[in-house]
Amino acid sequence: MSAGHTRKPLGGTLWRTLFVVGAGALFSVALGAFIRPDAVSALKAKVRYPLQVIYAELIGFISPGPRYVSYPILVKLKELGVDAGIIIALISSHVLIEPSTSLMEAGFFGYRFPVKRFLVSLILVFLAVMFTKLLVDCFGWRLL
Amino acid sequence: MRRLPSEVRVGIFLLVATGVLAIISPEKVAQSLSENLGMIVKILLLSIVAVLISVAIHYLVPPDFAEAHLRGNRLRYLVYATLLGILTPGPVYAVYPVVLALKNKGVQNPILVSYITGQTIIGPARVPLEVGLFGIDFFAYRVVLAVLLGPLAGLLYILFSKWLPDKV
Repeated sequence: MSAGHTRKPLGGTLWRTLFVVGAGALFSVALGAFIRPDAVSALKAKVRYPLQVIYAELIGFISPGPRYVSYPILVKLKELGVDAGIIIALISSHVLIEPSTSLMEAGFFGYRFPVKRFLVSLILVFLAVMFTKLLVDCFGWRLL
Repeated sequence: MRRLPSEVRVGIFLLVATGVLAIISPEKVAQSLSENLGMIVKILLLSIVAVLISVAIHYLVPPDFAEAHLRGNRLRYLVYATLLGILTPGPVYAVYPVVLALKNKGVQNPILVSYITGQTIIGPARVPLEVGLFGIDFFAYRVVLAVLLGPLAGLLYILFSKWLPDKV
């Protein structure tokens, strides 16, 4: 394999990734200026935990963009005191199912495939988060 | 006109949204940016490492690696498919040609679901970002979860297929 063959995709991928991650970091920092920690606490107090997980999953599923773009926003949420389970729900569901990939899957395998994948992903992430919550609450395990 | 790559379009959208927020409250946004400059630089540096890992694996793992190891439809292949998915680099769009090739070779849908789940939920390129931003414990836990969730995804797919069978 020639050096040029390696350099071209590396350069393209690197600049595209840095561009989108940089833009994502700027956006999350700008957005963070408007989010008050007391508002996050109030939301956590008002919405019961299993429902918070479902919300986080659905937000993750409909969030667009490549996987790296969500990290700056997740860091901001972590700083605001959002727990490990919700971070796991957002990080996992962001890539497991996307509207665009669902359409692609429906085209390749028929509509039943993405319907079942959506249900499977919803259950899987929910179980993962509840298991994490159990570890953190009952055994005092600090993940973040 | 050539269409911009999806990452670039998302990046432009995020920059425009940042601009709108800066217009709404310039002082708040400027203060937040100056306070978080270190985090932005850290994320960009970790992203460079992530891309390097991803590109290295792209050249080290042959394109037909998954295909060669998933011919057959035994239940234990749900585990193999998950592990192969975890090792497969690249964005999810890049993996669909592999999934389609596997499907055409007779690999059943539950195994494909485990493969897609493993590929999307975690990957080698996430190591620097997740370890750097959330710590080694968090990443290790996510790896364990991924190894468990991939086969479970295949099993749940089999269960749901009793209610909504795949089109023959």
